[in-house]
Amino acid sequence: MAQPGSIFCGSADHGLSRRGFLGAAGAATAGTFAADMTRLDGLKNPLLAGQVKRQQKSVILLWLAGGASQFETWDPKPGQSTGGPYSKIKTSANDVHISELLPKMAQRMNHTAIIRSINSKIGDHGGGASLMETGRVKDPGLIYPDIGAIAARELGRADSQVPDYVSMYTSTEGRRKGTSGFLGARYAPMFLSDKQIPDNMRRLEAISDVDHKDRAALRDLLSKRFTKARHSEKINSHTTAYSRVHGLMSSEKLFDIEQEPESVRAKYGPRQFAQQCLIARRLVEAGTPFVKVARAWWDSHGQNFETHRELCADLDHAMSTLLDDLEERGLLENTLVVTLGEFGRTPKINASLGRDHFANAWSCSLSGCGVRGGSFYGKTEPEGNTVADGEVGAAEVFATILEALGIDHEKEYMIGSRPIPLSDFGAKPIKEVLA
Amino acid sequence: MTWSDPEKLKRVKDFGISGIAFCVARESGSGKLFFGNSDFKVYEVDALAEKPEPAAFEAEGHQSYVTGIVQNQTQLVSGSYDGNLIWWDSESKKPTRTVKAHERWIRNVTASPDGSIVASVADDMVGKLWDAKSGETMHTLKDHKEETPDHYPSMLYAGAFSPDGKWLATADKVGHIAVWEVASGKKAAELESPGMYTWDPRARRHSIGGIRSVAFSHDSKLLAAGGIGKIGNIDHLGGPSRVEIFDWQKGESLHVIEDNELKGLVEQIEFDPSGNWLLAAGGDHGGFVSFYSVETGKLIKQDKAPMHVHQLAMNDDSTGFFAVGHGKIAHYEFKSDHPPGPAEPPLPEDAA
Repeated sequence: MAQPGSIFCGSADHGLSRRGFLGAAGAATAGTFAADMTRLDGLKNPLLAGQVKRQQKSVILLWLAGGASQFETWDPKPGQSTGGPYSKIKTSANDVHISELLPKMAQRMNHTAIIRSINSKIGDHGGGASLMETGRVKDPGLIYPDIGAIAARELGRADSQVPDYVSMYTSTEGRRKGTSGFLGARYAPMFLSDKQIPDNMRRLEAISDVDHKDRAALRDLLSKRFTKARHSEKINSHTTAYSRVHGLMSSEKLFDIEQEPESVRAKYGPRQFAQQCLIARRLVEAGTPFVKVARAWWDSHGQNFETHRELCADLDHAMSTLLDDLEERGLLENTLVVTLGEFGRTPKINASLGRDHFANAWSCSLSGCGVRGGSFYGKTEPEGNTVADGEVGAAEVFATILEALGIDHEKEYMIGSRPIPLSDFGAKPIKEVLA
Repeated sequence: MTWSDPEKLKRVKDFGISGIAFCVARESGSGKLFFGNSDFKVYEVDALAEKPEPAAFEAEGHQSYVTGIVQNQTQLVSGSYDGNLIWWDSESKKPTRTVKAHERWIRNVTASPDGSIVASVADDMVGKLWDAKSGETMHTLKDHKEETPDHYPSMLYAGAFSPDGKWLATADKVGHIAVWEVASGKKAAELESPGMYTWDPRARRHSIGGIRSVAFSHDSKLLAAGGIGKIGNIDHLGGPSRVEIFDWQKGESLHVIEDNELKGLVEQIEFDPSGNWLLAAGGDHGGFVSFYSVETGKLIKQDKAPMHVHQLAMNDDSTGFFAVGHGKIAHYEFKSDHPPGPAEPPLPEDAA
């Protein structure tokens, strides 16, 4: 099996930068396990921040669980019998119009590319979600890792002390934990379902902070003595695991938006989805390569237009605030923000004024890292029933995400003697939306 | 002479239309209907013709769903999700005035009993009273909150004048009702029907419902609100159709009628002029028309309509109505040749 990717390429420049970064971080934290804050502290040094920003690519996946309507988001068809009541609006990108339900995003389309021609064929929630998460249909003989696990492996650091893959899915409907498949538990998501701050990260109350640090220091001392004359992968792994656990324990504050200035929290506002996007930004800033924020539940079989009026307001505000925040911090060029779900919704409007599941012609968006902002790819026919031009499937979307991050989508993992490419066999990235 | 008798409810006929009809106005003394449609157009149709053929107003009109229409003699006023009110000459089928009435989607348009005032409600959460003749704004009615308690955009769905023309009721998504004095534009009363709003904080994290219809009784003393009750799975309209009747001046809720037999939204309510019954119409994937006793709240009669009903127009003597909705128009009658109640036994032949 290929070695995990690293953000450090091994060059002398990067090595120096890495040492500089770690040294500065170490000095700032006096040798404690504050991995979360080391990144944030390190970013205060403009030189180091620049290095980190160049090297550390991340993904924030806004998972529109249940299946958002392409008509009410990225591919409006006003005036068609299928188009619904909402109009389309101009955006900051020439020739790109989106639904009037996304007015804030319309002003930020210069960062965003739209893919309007997905035909993923699978129209049930479980199958559709699995397909879009892994970029390929299920294989009975092999469990494939999802995009989060692959990003964690390819973009994360082996010795990282922040979580590599965080998944937030607080609604209960359609909740899926995600899977690292054959990559193993090391790349499984830290899954937040009930709270915004993970459980079991705090030290036990019976142990004081001083005791906690003293114990760690003692373990570290003994470990160094033990390993001095021994060289073993197992011992190194054991030590790394301790280090990661301590790092994760100290990363609790990353999930606490109270750590942010009031002015920042005010921008994100009171709604949960936006607050989770703020957590995602904090995680990415601290070095987490993949964060999934699931916003359920778009499954608008009844009252599609009322549902999208609410949920698009949520998406529009949260996503636009997130993009602004990432841009202001210089993180957007290295952070890919994706909106994706298991499928889109039917052109036909049913008697409950709903739209049903539809996988034959729908849309997703990519913003930021590696993306040709203001572009769109593919076209649906006037009523949106089929793809008219540029049909792509889940595999192409998957390959495009990887390419945007600078990951070779054709790279192979070896499972026994079986080569498994990161994106499905034969898939090509959609170059038209890539920078 | 004929009387209304809900027990005699029967569907006389229905016919298909293209798209979804959201609103309807009927020309007095005839079966001529004007309806607003999902293709952004206003149509005219003689619903009593053997083969009804809807004809669109082809002149430039609305740019979104037409959700409200009222008629006064040869004048029609329609409202749309495009935020515009359009005055039409119903004979030439051409617009005579277009007014940018609201910043957001107009949900309902209604007219005072004498036709002199038009009211519109919209998702800018404002109600407006218009001089039907001049098109001037008479009053802007602000009371409904722009956001739900859960910080999402609210919607202002319903409006209705009282039969005496003195009052206008407006009602929103979270179940808040305001009653306004038409002459002054001042708020006269507030009522709450929170059972009309379902917020799901756990499974799906959004909401559904809202008051979709309001109506005053013919003595203007009672006010009924229609919508849908609490829903478990808010992906669908699988909740009880719901009507709440208030003595609005006392602020008392008299009846809450929840009907699980034919589920969905109550899109329109009509009161019996004599005060005995109340007609509620609406639907989910299917439709319903249901009569309830005003006194007891009990179901008198209902029919599974051939489509989700969005609005209906009563005939002149309240013995029938035309319902419009998803892809169809249906004509119902509920008339009797004797007054409601047990029929008198026939007189013996010798007595006759």
